[in-house]
Amino acid sequence: MSDSITIRNPGLLSLIVDPGRKGHSDVGVPSSSALDLYACRALYALLASPDIPLIEALGPRLAVRFDADVTCALTGARVKAFLDDLPLPPWSSFTAKKGSILRIREVSEGFRYYLGFAGGLKIDPVMGSYATNLECRFGGFEGRPLRGGDILPLTAPVTLEARSFPEAMIPVMSPPHLLRVTEGPESEYLTPEARCLFWDAKHREPFIVSQEINRTGIRLLGKPLPFRKEMAKSIISEGIVPGTVQIPGDGLPIVMLHERTIGGYARAATVIRADLDRLAHLKPGDTVFFELVSPEAATAVWQEKKQQRDFFPSRCR
Amino acid sequence: MIIRRYGENSLRIIFGTRIDMRVHEDVRRAFFLCRSLHRPEILEIVPSFCACVITFDDGAVSYEALADLLRERLADLSRVELPPPQLHEIPVRYGGDAGPDLSFVAEHCRLTTEEVIRRHCAETYTVYTIGFTPGFPYLGILDEAIAVPRLETPRTRVPAGSVGLAQRQTGIYPFESPAGWQIIGRTDSRLFDTGRPPFSLMQIGDKVRFHVAD
Repeated sequence: MSDSITIRNPGLLSLIVDPGRKGHSDVGVPSSSALDLYACRALYALLASPDIPLIEALGPRLAVRFDADVTCALTGARVKAFLDDLPLPPWSSFTAKKGSILRIREVSEGFRYYLGFAGGLKIDPVMGSYATNLECRFGGFEGRPLRGGDILPLTAPVTLEARSFPEAMIPVMSPPHLLRVTEGPESEYLTPEARCLFWDAKHREPFIVSQEINRTGIRLLGKPLPFRKEMAKSIISEGIVPGTVQIPGDGLPIVMLHERTIGGYARAATVIRADLDRLAHLKPGDTVFFELVSPEAATAVWQEKKQQRDFFPSRCR
Repeated sequence: MIIRRYGENSLRIIFGTRIDMRVHEDVRRAFFLCRSLHRPEILEIVPSFCACVITFDDGAVSYEALADLLRERLADLSRVELPPPQLHEIPVRYGGDAGPDLSFVAEHCRLTTEEVIRRHCAETYTVYTIGFTPGFPYLGILDEAIAVPRLETPRTRVPAGSVGLAQRQTGIYPFESPAGWQIIGRTDSRLFDTGRPPFSLMQIGDKVRFHVAD
């Protein structure tokens, strides 16, 4: 039998992801990428295996049995993780022996976490990516969430020295979440007061993450943002980018993630690239604030974050 | 034509504010022209009813430089060489389990179901955009006599091949997926194949006719 891992318990939702499916949005193919790409890149650095397929998991109780010796890494939400009885440090790699079991017992900060295996899982890419398109059931592992009993073969299991990502570089993932945004194409559809309530540091009102969240979008609850009277409440469908904040007729924002290429609601704002990773950690009940920044300021923050990312391999020790 | 920045590294090329053939033709020409530039800094192009949204690598080109380049290259769209639109003939099983909303549509429009089908099959439609799910074509323009509102509560799952109506549009769900349109029938035609480039049966500007399946 080939080297593999077995899913003993998939937790709330586990699926195969990677940095996403590129270049096909003209025919409606979304990227379906990992939601926290910072955590994903940190994991690649820890395992010295770029762009391998990873498990993105939600909630406690994920349990994985190792049927081969392999070095793994866990990043993303802070979790209480144990390899058999041994507690594991956050954002670190560790070597699992054949027969051992990794268990996540509690998620203490953030929402989604990532588990990767040095050398990668043996999964066929679909349209250039390992990411699961859950809605249309393709990519990833049979196009579906992982289930208890699934056996995932490893490509060429590697064992490496254990390494850790610097604690100071692990982002804050707990609420309240401050999301910086640039003005969206239809921000003018909202009244000036609504725009203040939305993203002005002095006047803004908090939003709360609703129960209606999935990999497509995050619906927020709070004080509805009114539209200007003369403005339509929807648009002729047009392209959208990840992080687009749509305002439907009820005035309550929906933050779009990586599963849609076009949309028909007013695009009031766009979450800046540097804050997209944070969206992976919004969970029902969390408080969210928005803050307006210029595209230039957003780009500057992004350049800084990207530079950090380039040094990930040298920062893991 | 207007170019506007969207977020940090995307831009919109806007050709109008209404759904019509002239605007669509401009969008289509702009899409094929942008694609034919083969610029590695252009990462994604999403053509839709009135605009193209381009996402670019801002490490390689600034918004201003790309917008200038596009303004220059898109100045004369009439010279763009376009691939001839393909005509897709789509067989549909109307009504029954395949089209649970056909009788509602007939009732709403005060027509017989036969008349709804006849009108749906009478038109040659244009693919205005593709999205929602991979390969889903937004087809227009639907006969006003069979225009219906979207479902108040979308269905969580409809089978692949379901044919729907919403306002002045008709469309086909390539995958089993959630659906907010009124489902009048189903086709066995495969609209999207993840294993075979170019993946989507249809692309922007293609033509579509429906007929009653044998």
